[in-house]
Amino acid sequence: MSTLEIGLASFPTLLVLIFLRVPIGLAMFLVGFGGLYLVTGSPNMALAKMKTETYSTFSNYSLSIIPMFLLMGQFATLGGISQALFKAAESWLGHRKGGVAMAAIGACAGFGAIAGSSLATAATMGRVALPELKAYGYAGGFSTATLAAGGTLGILIPPSVVLVIYAILAEQNISKLFLAAFVPGIMAALGYMVAVSIYVRLYPDRAGTRAPVPYKDRFRALAKVWSVVVIFLLVIFGIAGDWNWAKSGTQALFTPTEGAAVGAFGVGLIAWRSGGLTWSSLIDSFLVTGRSSAMIFFIILGAGFYNGFLSLTQVPQEIAGWVVNQGLSPMGILLLILLFYLLLGCLMDSLSMILLTVPIFFPVIMSLDFALSPEHLAIWFGILVLIVVEVGLITPPVGLNLFVINAMDRQTPAVETYKAVGFFVATDLIRVAILITFPAITLFLLPQ
Amino acid sequence: MYALIKKLAQVMAVLGGLVLTILILLVCTSVLGRSVGTLLHGAFMQTNFTAFSNWALGAGIGAINGDFELVEAGIAFSIFAFLPLCQLSGGHATVDVFTSKLSPRSNQVLQMISECLFALVLGLIAWRLFEGMEAKQRYGETTFLLQFPIWWAYAASFSGAAIAAFISLYMAIIRILEALSGRHLLAENESTER
Repeated sequence: MSTLEIGLASFPTLLVLIFLRVPIGLAMFLVGFGGLYLVTGSPNMALAKMKTETYSTFSNYSLSIIPMFLLMGQFATLGGISQALFKAAESWLGHRKGGVAMAAIGACAGFGAIAGSSLATAATMGRVALPELKAYGYAGGFSTATLAAGGTLGILIPPSVVLVIYAILAEQNISKLFLAAFVPGIMAALGYMVAVSIYVRLYPDRAGTRAPVPYKDRFRALAKVWSVVVIFLLVIFGIAGDWNWAKSGTQALFTPTEGAAVGAFGVGLIAWRSGGLTWSSLIDSFLVTGRSSAMIFFIILGAGFYNGFLSLTQVPQEIAGWVVNQGLSPMGILLLILLFYLLLGCLMDSLSMILLTVPIFFPVIMSLDFALSPEHLAIWFGILVLIVVEVGLITPPVGLNLFVINAMDRQTPAVETYKAVGFFVATDLIRVAILITFPAITLFLLPQ
Repeated sequence: MYALIKKLAQVMAVLGGLVLTILILLVCTSVLGRSVGTLLHGAFMQTNFTAFSNWALGAGIGAINGDFELVEAGIAFSIFAFLPLCQLSGGHATVDVFTSKLSPRSNQVLQMISECLFALVLGLIAWRLFEGMEAKQRYGETTFLLQFPIWWAYAASFSGAAIAAFISLYMAIIRILEALSGRHLLAENESTER
C-alpha cells in the first residue's frame, strides 16, 4: 500500500472502531499509532513521539483554559447562580405567553456566559427550571426540548470549550474567536425565544400562564445577578478587548488562560460567599471537573496522534486539492461540509467531531475564495462549524443534551421531546443561513 | 479491592483539583501584580507618587516570573492525575447507537476488548513517559525562566499515568472475568457513577 492509500484506509478503520464502541480518543490513538507503524515500517517513530507527546499535549498552555472553565461551571452551580439567573429572567419574562420557557432560555444564556460546556448548562438549568415549568403547566416534551436547546447556549455563547479546540486546530486566536461568537450567541438565545413563542401560539394548551411580577421585585431579582454580569464582561472583554488606547493595535488585559483563571476565582468567590462552596462540595467539583477534563484531554491526545499520522500521509492536502478541482462553487462546498456536520452530529459528540474533521476540512475551506481575508475566513468558518456541531446535541438519536434532560424527567417520553425540539433546530438552521449570507454579523466586532 | 482502587482514583483526582486550584490562584495573583505594576509605572503615579511607586516596584510588585511555566507543569500533572478516575468510572466518550442494537453478551465482549486495548495503550503511555523523563534528566533540560528541571514535571505526571495504567489493567481483568462468566462483577451504578 502506498502512503496515501494507508491514509485513506484509516478513515473506514477508525469509523468501524468507533462504531464498535471503542472510546473515541482511544480509537484515534490506535489508528494513528498503527498508521505510523505501517507508513514508516517500524514502531520506532511512533514510540519516540510518545516520549514527549503525551506530556506536551497535557501541558499545553492554551488548553489549560479547559479545566479552569469546567471548574468555573461547577462553582457557578454551587453558588446558586443558576437559580438566581432563572429567577431574574422569570420575573421579567414569566407573565408573557410561554414566558417561563423564555426565562429558562434566558437563564441558560446567562449560565452559558460563565460555563464553557453544553452538558453542564443543560444539567444545571434543567435541575432549576424543569420543576418550575411543570408547576406553571408547561407540557413535558415542550419543557425538556426548551432546556435541551437552551443547554447548547453553554457552548454557543463564549467562553466555549469547543472554540478553544477549534482555535488550536486551526491555529487561530482564541480571543478573536470568543469575540466573534458573541453576536451569533445572542442571536441563538433570541432565536430560541422566538421558537418558544411560535410554539405556544400553535399549541396554546401546552403552556400555562403566570401573573406579572411587580417592578420592584423585578429589579431586586436583577440585582442578584450583577456579579455574574461583571465576571462575564471582565473575562470576555479582558481577553478580547483593547485596554490600551494610547498604543496602536489591540492590547488585551490578559491571555485567555488568565481570563479563565480570573473567572474561576470570581465565580468561586461568589459560591463561597453564598455558602455553597464547602470542603465536600469542593471535592465533588474536583471529581466532576477531573472526569470531564480527562475525557476531553484523552480525545485531544488521540486526535493529535491521528492527525500527526494523517498529515504525514498528505491526505488532507490531497483531499483539499481534489475538492477544489471538482468545479463546485466555494459556497456549494461550504454547504456540503456543514450538511456533513449536521448528519455526523446525529451520531457523534461535538468535540470528537471537531477534532476528527477540522484537520481535513479546514485546508479545503482555506483554499477556496470567499472574498474574505484568511483570518476572517478561518474565524467565520469556525463559528459556522460551532453552530452546526451544536445542533448535533439536540438531534436524535445521539443528542447528548436530550439524554441529559430526559433522564431528569422520567414521565416525559423521549418522542415528545423530539417533536418539540424541531422548532429549536429550525431556528438554528435559519441562523446558520443568515450568518452564511452576511459574514459581517460574525466579523464586525473584530479589530481590523 | 474495588473500594481501595476507587479511593486511590479519587485521591488522585482531588490532588489534581487542588493543583488546578493553586494554579488559578497563582495566575490571579500574577495578573493582579502585573496590573498594579503597570499602574505604578504609569505617568500619574510616577509624577505624583514617585518615591512610593519606585519603592513598591522595587519591593517586587509585578507579574510572577515564569508563571506560565508553572501553569504548564501543573496542568500536565492535573490531567494525568484525573485519568485514573475517568478510567475507573468509564468516563470516556463513546458512540453507542450501533452497539445498542446488539445483545448484552456481544456488548460485554466489545467492552472487554476496549478495556484491554485501553490497558495496553495506557501502559505504553506510562512506559514512554518514563523514558521521556529519563531523557530529560540525562540532558539536564530546564525551563527557560525559572530554570527548574523539566523531568520533575515528567515525574509528577508519571505518577498519574502509572496509576491510570494500573487501574485500567484492573478494569480489563474485571471485564475479562465478566465476559467469561457472563455476569456483572461491578454493579452498573458503581461503574457509571462519577
